Amino acid sequence: MVENEHLIDLKHICKNYDGVTVLDDINLYIRKKEFVTLLGPSGCGKTTTLRIIGGFETPTSGEVLFEGSEISQLPPYKRRVNTVFQKYALFPHLNVHDNIAFGLKIKKMAKGEIDKRVDAMLELVNLKGYGKRRVDALSGGQQQRVAIARSLVNEPEVLLLDEPLGALDLKLRKGMQLELKRMQQHLGITFLYVTHDQEEALTMSDTIVVMREGKILQIGDPKHIYDEPANAFVADFIGESNILRGTMVRDELVRFAGREFPCVDFGFGENVPVDVVVRPEDVMLVGEDVGQIVGTIRSVLFKGVHYEMMIDCGETTFKVHSTTMQPQGSRVGLSIVPFNIHIMKPMATAQAQEEAAAT
Amino acid sequence: MTSFQVPGWGYVLMAVGFAAFIALLIAYIVVNRGFKRPVFASPYVLWIIVFTVIPCLLVAYFSFTDPAGNFTLDNFKSFWDANYNTRKGIDPALLQQYQDMGLSLDDLGLGRNPINIDTLVFSLWMAFLCTAICLLLGYPAAHIMADREFRLGPTLVVLFVVPMWMNFLLRTIALMSIMEDGGLINTVLNWLGFGPAKLLNTTAAVQVGMVYNFLPFMVFPIYNVLNKMDYQLSEAAMDLGCNKWKIFYKVTLPLSIPGVVSGITMVFMPAVTTFYISRLLGGGKVQLFGDLIEAKFLSTSLNEWNVGSALSLVMMVLILLSLGLLQKADPKGEGGGII
Repeated sequence: MVENEHLIDLKHICKNYDGVTVLDDINLYIRKKEFVTLLGPSGCGKTTTLRIIGGFETPTSGEVLFEGSEISQLPPYKRRVNTVFQKYALFPHLNVHDNIAFGLKIKKMAKGEIDKRVDAMLELVNLKGYGKRRVDALSGGQQQRVAIARSLVNEPEVLLLDEPLGALDLKLRKGMQLELKRMQQHLGITFLYVTHDQEEALTMSDTIVVMREGKILQIGDPKHIYDEPANAFVADFIGESNILRGTMVRDELVRFAGREFPCVDFGFGENVPVDVVVRPEDVMLVGEDVGQIVGTIRSVLFKGVHYEMMIDCGETTFKVHSTTMQPQGSRVGLSIVPFNIHIMKPMATAQAQEEAAAT
Repeated sequence: MTSFQVPGWGYVLMAVGFAAFIALLIAYIVVNRGFKRPVFASPYVLWIIVFTVIPCLLVAYFSFTDPAGNFTLDNFKSFWDANYNTRKGIDPALLQQYQDMGLSLDDLGLGRNPINIDTLVFSLWMAFLCTAICLLLGYPAAHIMADREFRLGPTLVVLFVVPMWMNFLLRTIALMSIMEDGGLINTVLNWLGFGPAKLLNTTAAVQVGMVYNFLPFMVFPIYNVLNKMDYQLSEAAMDLGCNKWKIFYKVTLPLSIPGVVSGITMVFMPAVTTFYISRLLGGGKVQLFGDLIEAKFLSTSLNEWNVGSALSLVMMVLILLSLGLLQKADPKGEGGGII
């Protein structure tokens, strides 16, 4: 990727609050018209990163480049980015129209032009005819749309969104996800999106940046992140996973859960401890006689689309998703195709599992 | 000598008030077939009736009657002309004689005495000035205290509260000793060679006392509104192109209006009715409307309670009118207004 295609570059960004490190050497670039999502659990530094780009925080060290020029000391009102805040931050003393027109009025644009643009924005966010309403008379979803319109009307180069759908209910959130994606593609604006919802990130993003404790763990497109998680934490955070401790016997052969499995990974060396990640939907339930391993179904939970079963196989317990239900207590065979076994270098596996248990 | 006897009508009024309250209470219990929550509000309703509603009605009653309990508008005429009652007490034939001799009422010292009106206007002016000064001093103070980045903010809040724990009379007396001829300020002035200045017993001294006593009532409503304000609003404004000054007048100021309205109400009302501050710091030379009313009620002459009631009523009406106007500016009472 050539450097001059980058719209924003973060170089070695660190941020400390009273001696506590919030961001630790963040390196990231954002290309034009890209939909980038910062994903991670709360406290991972994703919002701080967004605020540094928005201009509300200054990094302790490191550079923020906007089209190649350093902007980290520039106040927010001199940056060509706009932010959609977590709690919308609409001005309660202004109606919908005046909220959206706020930025244009500051720029002293002619009234006719302002009205034209505000009306176009209201139409874009499906709030035509709502201009005269009070903002506190709107529903959460409508307030969210006003907040987005208020930012977009300024035609920013980058729109920063800080968990904008967090306060909406599930159905509304799904609808807004698609709508945001539609707007982004329609307007051709770069979106930098912050969320802790992995499903949201997978649905909307071109690029996902997984963060944890102030560090970037992995950058990649959704499919890559899901299929090839860089470590056990990413695997566990993105979707559900069985994370097991195993040993790489040799290339394309791994030992876990008491037996050896053929896999497709290589280059780890021989008899090296590794983390093994298997997605619950990748474990196939087969007859007791044909399975690679055999287990007893400990519990069955109905989850809507599928059943979630916990299957004990000796020392190891697998979480398995299947559309067909097996009765509790029955013995089944488990089979995993080599392609679906993900091997990664061990990274505090125990810790990741502890956290998984805590959530 | 009894200064005044409560007329029979006063007792009747009280009795009617009580009876109405008891009747309403019984009616309420009967209608709802038992005790419901609003019944528990009855002690407060009773309290308000006994100590607020009935006294107000009594003030109104007194201001429209003479000491004998007959209806009259003389008390309001006395408000307009402080010599009205004196003139009325003099035999008209005698007055006529003097006038025939070529002496006008003014020559006799019996002409229209506008002291009540003048004092009211002066009091309103002093209260207005006090409110304006409190607003000019209090808004920046509240703004600084509510600033998230100003670490001493909470300390300042405490420093503003602590003096309020002390009796305000005591505070005013302390101010008196600071401003007196041998007081702190004059000692410093002497030392600097600016000679002793006459500070006490001036209008300025009274104004200083009023501002000093009422400033917290301006600061806290504004502080509350600013402190509760979502800081993301100013970030949003900054994001949309506002510098610090524009954030203030486009977002912070309009959103703090409820606090300002509440502050104005809470300063203006006590300022317009005060009498102890002018007494202590004005030394009798500066008289406010409150002093006038107090003097009427402490007076031993026969109909002064009635005149005093008329003065109170005039002031009550004025305050109600200004409150009504202020409520229009803050219809939802967001500033934590007092009515």
